[in-house]
Amino acid sequence: MFNGAFRERVKNSWVEMRENLTRSTLQSLGVILGVAAVLGGFSISDSMRKRSMELYVKMGGLDKLNVRQSAVVREGAPTALQTANLGLRTADAVEGEEINSSEVHGVSVRKDARARVRSPYADRERDIRGAGGDFLALDGYDVAEGRGFSQHDIDTAAPVAILGTEAVEVFFPDGHAVGRTLRIGDTPVIVIGTLKERVFRFRDGQHNMFRWRNRIIAIPNTLVTRRFEGDNYHRVDRVTFKIPSLDAMATFSKALAGVLKANHRQQDDFRLDDVGARIRKQHSQGDVYDIIFLLSGFLSMIGGGIVNVNIQMATLKERIREVGVKMAIGAPGGEIFKEFMTEAMLLTGVGSLAGLVIGVGFSKIITASIGVPLHIDPKSFVFAYLLAAIFGFLFALFPALKASRLSPMEALRYE
Amino acid sequence: MTPIIETQSLTKVFGSNGAAVHALRGIDLTVERGEFVALIGPSGSGKSTLMAILGCLDKPTAGTYALDGERVEGLSGRELAGIRNDKIGFVFQQYNLLPKASVARNVELPLLYAGVPRKERRARALELLEMVGIPEKAKVLPAALSGGQRQRVAIARSLANRPALLLADEPTGALDQKTGHEVLELFVDLNRRGNTIIIVTHDLSIAAMAQRQVEIMDGLIKIEEAA
Repeated sequence: MFNGAFRERVKNSWVEMRENLTRSTLQSLGVILGVAAVLGGFSISDSMRKRSMELYVKMGGLDKLNVRQSAVVREGAPTALQTANLGLRTADAVEGEEINSSEVHGVSVRKDARARVRSPYADRERDIRGAGGDFLALDGYDVAEGRGFSQHDIDTAAPVAILGTEAVEVFFPDGHAVGRTLRIGDTPVIVIGTLKERVFRFRDGQHNMFRWRNRIIAIPNTLVTRRFEGDNYHRVDRVTFKIPSLDAMATFSKALAGVLKANHRQQDDFRLDDVGARIRKQHSQGDVYDIIFLLSGFLSMIGGGIVNVNIQMATLKERIREVGVKMAIGAPGGEIFKEFMTEAMLLTGVGSLAGLVIGVGFSKIITASIGVPLHIDPKSFVFAYLLAAIFGFLFALFPALKASRLSPMEALRYE
Repeated sequence: MTPIIETQSLTKVFGSNGAAVHALRGIDLTVERGEFVALIGPSGSGKSTLMAILGCLDKPTAGTYALDGERVEGLSGRELAGIRNDKIGFVFQQYNLLPKASVARNVELPLLYAGVPRKERRARALELLEMVGIPEKAKVLPAALSGGQRQRVAIARSLANRPALLLADEPTGALDQKTGHEVLELFVDLNRRGNTIIIVTHDLSIAAMAQRQVEIMDGLIKIEEAA
């Protein structure tokens, strides 16, 4: 079986293909377009997905579990228990971390306020971010100048502030912010640091999606509690846990829900938001595009396959004599079948290669025109190739079977 | 010794009841090893049908056929292909070479189907081309050859598997007289070396070169005469 017959078949097929270049090109057109459509489509949606992944990573990572306040009273008057409930507090963050402190790589709390902010240069009504714990790191901020909040600043509700680039521009247009005083409400605070500018454009030329992040005016959350929106219970707006391990995330969020519910007098006044799980879910909704691309690939392969069968049947007429001669010389039907299949599969293989090249070119053009970096998953290559091979095989079967079942005598006499 | 060919009341009917054509109506033919037989007869006599059955390209409707001592009338298509490959060498009027394969590869083809390794195939092909007198043409395509040379390639191909029987269907039909004669000389020479040859022709001068003429008429053997 492997005495070179296979090699000989491939060689013959190659000669046959080269000698009938136009016909071969037409035959493989369906495969070329199908593979190009599948690969192109997949790589475009992969590129978009990769880009949005980058966005979330730049936002501070996907490995976060956010806990937010949630209204427990939906309608009517609240019950006594609901009224007495304390809501989300700093204590929740502390107790949460204690559940599994080795897997929790960071905790932050947030307590926002709105206040009048004044500097020698500007006087504005602005949002104030009260930050606690590892807030800057967990939200993806880097200090440009000066320093971040120390534990001491937070514990003592120190009157200090950190500004984003836009806030620096507005309140200290001369660029020297660190060490100067800003009045927030009636409280003078000293600027101890400035943050690096954050930029993310989903597509080239689009607006900066992180523009509003540069507007940040951060002070310790304890200071917000004490001087602006506070209460004795140290309520906060958001608690964030950073947990890189997926397994730990699952068990942790269950345990956390239990602890919080117990802390909150059995009231579901909080909401857990597993950022990674949410994004993965959003991405899987994007799978519909993959299905559309796959379908268009399927259709072009089917269309091309039908054309291919037609051409094969037409050329079979020209080749009946050749088949007859081979049979007379002693080729059994199976051998003829294999020869035809080899030719078809070789054609499919070469066609898919061309399709892959075209598909890559196609996705390069599209991604470049919408301004997203190209990302091609190697799996897409394999998938497009396999798909082409399956279709190539199925559509080659009919002509090959027909040829192999010719009667040698009739084939020889065919004019 | 068993004869190469032994048929008994071989019949072949094409079509069915109403429009049946009886191409062969009971052929009893025996060809001994080493014979050179000419099958003659006008067109429509059934000689091509007989040739197809003798060549295992077609199956008889009824009757028995033993080739080299083996009954073949009931074999499957695949088995017949094996027999054609192993025991029969065909030479056609139109040469029937593969136009896209080199001369050497054309000659190798039966060896390929027999499963002979590549090196052996190559060696055997060159040996055969030597035997038919055109060793220098091994690498060219058939289109570059003259009719006579092409027929020599076809003969070399037919001999590749050392067949028990050589079947030639009007082998000189497409050649001019001189070349045709040279090709016939080659057949005579091959016969002298022990090959059993059946040549189908309507040309009596060609038939005269054979040891025995068998004339077919209306699906029956009309005359058998030894030269």
